[in-house]
Amino acid sequence: MADSIYSICNLGILDTLSENSIHEIVESYEGFCAANETLLNGAGDLSVGPQLVSNAHSLCKHGLESLLRDHFLGALEKTFEKNGALKFWRHFEDVSIGEEVFYNALEEISLEKQYQEKCLLMLVHALQTYNQRGSHDSDAISVELFAKYQLSVSSVLMATLPRKFPEILNWYFKGRLEELSTIMAGDRPPRDDEDEDDDRDDMELDEKWKVSYRSGQMEIDECYPQGRFFDNSKLVNNIGRVVHDLRSLGFTSMTEDAYASAIFLFLKAKVHDLAGDDYRISVLESIKGWIQAVPLQFLHALLAYLGDSISYESASSGLKSPLAKCPASFYPGIDTPSEGLVRWQLRLEYFAYETLQDLRIAKLFEIIVDYPDSSPAIEDLKQCLEYTGQHSKLVESFISALQYRLLTAGASTNDILHQYVSTIKALRTIDPAGVFLEAVGEPIRDYLRGRKDTIKCIVTMLTDGTGANPNVSGNTGDSLLEELNRDEESQENIAPEDDFHTDDKQAWINASRWEPDPVEADPLKGSRNRRKVDILGMIVGIIGSQDQLVNEYRVMLAEKLLNKSDYDIDSEIRTLELLKIHFGENSMQKCEIMLNDLIGSKRTNTNIKATIAQPSHTDAGSELGDNRVSMDIIDATIISSNFWPPIQEESLIVPGPIDQLLSDYAKRFNEIKTPRKLLWKKNLGTVKLELQFEDREMQFMVAPVHAAIIMQFQDQKSWTSKDLAAAIGVPIDILNRRINFWISKGILSESLGEDTDNHMFTLMEGMIDTGKNTANDGNCEDLIVGDEEGESSVASVEDQLRKEMTVYEKFILGMLTNFGSMALDRIHNTLKMFCIADPTYDKTLQQLQSFLSGLVSEEKLELRDGMYFLKK
Amino acid sequence: MAPNRAYCPIFVHCSELQGFGLGFAVAREEDESQDLAWHSVASWTWDAQDETCGICRMAFDGCCPDCKLPGDDCPLIWGSCNHAFHLHCILKWVNSQTSQAHCPMCRREWQFKG
Repeated sequence: MADSIYSICNLGILDTLSENSIHEIVESYEGFCAANETLLNGAGDLSVGPQLVSNAHSLCKHGLESLLRDHFLGALEKTFEKNGALKFWRHFEDVSIGEEVFYNALEEISLEKQYQEKCLLMLVHALQTYNQRGSHDSDAISVELFAKYQLSVSSVLMATLPRKFPEILNWYFKGRLEELSTIMAGDRPPRDDEDEDDDRDDMELDEKWKVSYRSGQMEIDECYPQGRFFDNSKLVNNIGRVVHDLRSLGFTSMTEDAYASAIFLFLKAKVHDLAGDDYRISVLESIKGWIQAVPLQFLHALLAYLGDSISYESASSGLKSPLAKCPASFYPGIDTPSEGLVRWQLRLEYFAYETLQDLRIAKLFEIIVDYPDSSPAIEDLKQCLEYTGQHSKLVESFISALQYRLLTAGASTNDILHQYVSTIKALRTIDPAGVFLEAVGEPIRDYLRGRKDTIKCIVTMLTDGTGANPNVSGNTGDSLLEELNRDEESQENIAPEDDFHTDDKQAWINASRWEPDPVEADPLKGSRNRRKVDILGMIVGIIGSQDQLVNEYRVMLAEKLLNKSDYDIDSEIRTLELLKIHFGENSMQKCEIMLNDLIGSKRTNTNIKATIAQPSHTDAGSELGDNRVSMDIIDATIISSNFWPPIQEESLIVPGPIDQLLSDYAKRFNEIKTPRKLLWKKNLGTVKLELQFEDREMQFMVAPVHAAIIMQFQDQKSWTSKDLAAAIGVPIDILNRRINFWISKGILSESLGEDTDNHMFTLMEGMIDTGKNTANDGNCEDLIVGDEEGESSVASVEDQLRKEMTVYEKFILGMLTNFGSMALDRIHNTLKMFCIADPTYDKTLQQLQSFLSGLVSEEKLELRDGMYFLKK
Repeated sequence: MAPNRAYCPIFVHCSELQGFGLGFAVAREEDESQDLAWHSVASWTWDAQDETCGICRMAFDGCCPDCKLPGDDCPLIWGSCNHAFHLHCILKWVNSQTSQAHCPMCRREWQFKG
């Protein structure tokens, strides 16, 4: 003890001390220590207070004030460690603790602390009263002492902190939030009938006022002049007290972490819960509403309870929440949101946006699959992305989803194309500049380029609304092209982009509307001003050139037109007009001529049939003299063959009377249109015929060759294939293929003749095996012969290509003779270099490759290690 | 008992077959025309001896460079020398000649063939 005195006082002073004063000091000090001990361990007994004060005074008189303080604080700390901290932590030793335990523990330690503070206050008081005689600043002493005490309390607690305490805090706040949320959910009237509920609300309010009076919880009620906070005032009160207690124990940051993470976890769960897997409704608003309703109210109450004592230094007034535009409606019952609350709101909203965005991005593939229905989800995503700006996340995740789920061998080209179009449409909403679309579309385009039937599918999809994708319900009958056109018209109506007539004012408006490209934009690809998301352009981009597309369309159109039995081409004309808008008139010229041929044919057909001299009347000598097959049954489509795709010609001998009619028809044509002549393509066209059996009739729409076959059975019930082939003038193998149609309908039957090659076909009488075709009975109107493999009347694009490539065959063979072996690209380059004269070599590497592999399969070439050799 | 053929169960509704299955044919006489409809396809040709027009080198069955639609809109014309050209081509030629025009192919005097 003497040491401590020496250390504080300077030794010189010691000499001046009289025996008396030494005695007094020792006595006072002992008295002080004793009083101190009783006070601290005395469990609420403050009776020793005056003793403490008087001893303190006498010590102070001797300048031992600091000793006094240190001793007192040290004693406080020891006692707190013993009485407070150890007991406190003992509460949490159990694995699971209830809410009550938590409250009790907090209460106990808070009481302990309060008591100690009272003791401290007593000392402070003693010092203050002493100092009033002196000249010390009395406030400074109390502030200093309390700060020291606070520090020692929190250091004691922190030093003994069990590891799971933060978890407990977390658990506690989570539980309370859930409680609050249920209260809110149960209490909140649906927004629509809020007005009606106002009166009732007021009444409830009054009642709740009373309730809260009774329960004596007035402290916080002042913070809530109105609103629904009373519903949960008790709960919030509890929480507030807990937070307050924790904070006073020095757990400020830990508490904040705990409730922040609880809120975020809860918010995340809520977002997941609300967003779910339903993309047909927008959830963003309800999430925002929920944030307002639960976590923000919670925080508001909490901050208000704590007197908003956390000061956020950096003001967030510069950061405007998107919601802050109309704060009045968003802060029910709060006139001016405190800064802390605004910050919290921003944090929560950002978090909600990000969570929802992540959720939606992960499911973007599904969302786009049911695109038109899922547009609310897309809208949500768009808003989220505007806020968070994490577009690149979207691109990456979507591309990997595409690669995993769409761009696989199992997906049909049609589906891929539809997904592509939906993707374009959906991403166009999110990002009108098309920057991200470009990135996302690239893998799809690359993949589609590798598929053979891409062009065909595209053309079908463009021109044929019904056939393109039967799975898609909704506006069937509308081709994609028409849809595109509608889109375009509506877009143009909204924003007429007329560069030539912009006056200064318009230019200024345009300039002020300018926004920079997103950061992710590829600067090589030009600015967004020039880039308008053009679905058709992006589709054509898959193929590379529109010529190929137009060519494919021409083949399809030819096929369609040649199989028409009437001259109704309205829909084709419309499609062509739309295509002309997009591709220009010149490239569609041939198609236009084809349609024109149909129109001309209709006119000529009527003309010929009206003016023809009926052969049956004039030519009585003919063996058909009195038959009644009139010209009426003949119709013809007269084509300008130069402008049509190459047409497959097969020989066919049509039945005599028909042949006669055809030549009469041609003769009449020649008379009318001298000197033009008609060349029949007898294998093309359609025949509608009716078979009459004893018990029933059947109608069919068939190709001429089918008609020719069945008509041979009119006067001879069974034919050998050889004879039949000769009679209708087709090779036997073709006959065998075509006759299958009638066999499958159960009209003819096939049996092996005496010769294996020479099958016997017999007409089925009476249709014994009706089981085969009961479905077709009666309504045979729609029985149009489906194009079985290789039956199309127009050479396909591939066939044309093969024909064009054969020109180069001798070049290639010659090259290989000279060089021995060559790689694919070398052949390609050589051809490009040398075949510049007619016909110019203009094929792609892929086309060449497929041609070469054709040559390999014909055993003209050999392919080893990527090099082509001549087959020896 | 009718002859065997009368039982032929099939009858394409063209009445050249009325020799058998008579009963059916008579009964159906009035609507037979719609029971068989033969829609055929033909291509037209100018039937000139040559493939292409000697002036524009375009196919005869196509049209001259100034025309969009072949056929009636861009007819052929024969000269008395039996050479054929697109009407528009030869008219342009004839009009461009100051004196008597000659056939571009054979240099004979150009006369439209009656």
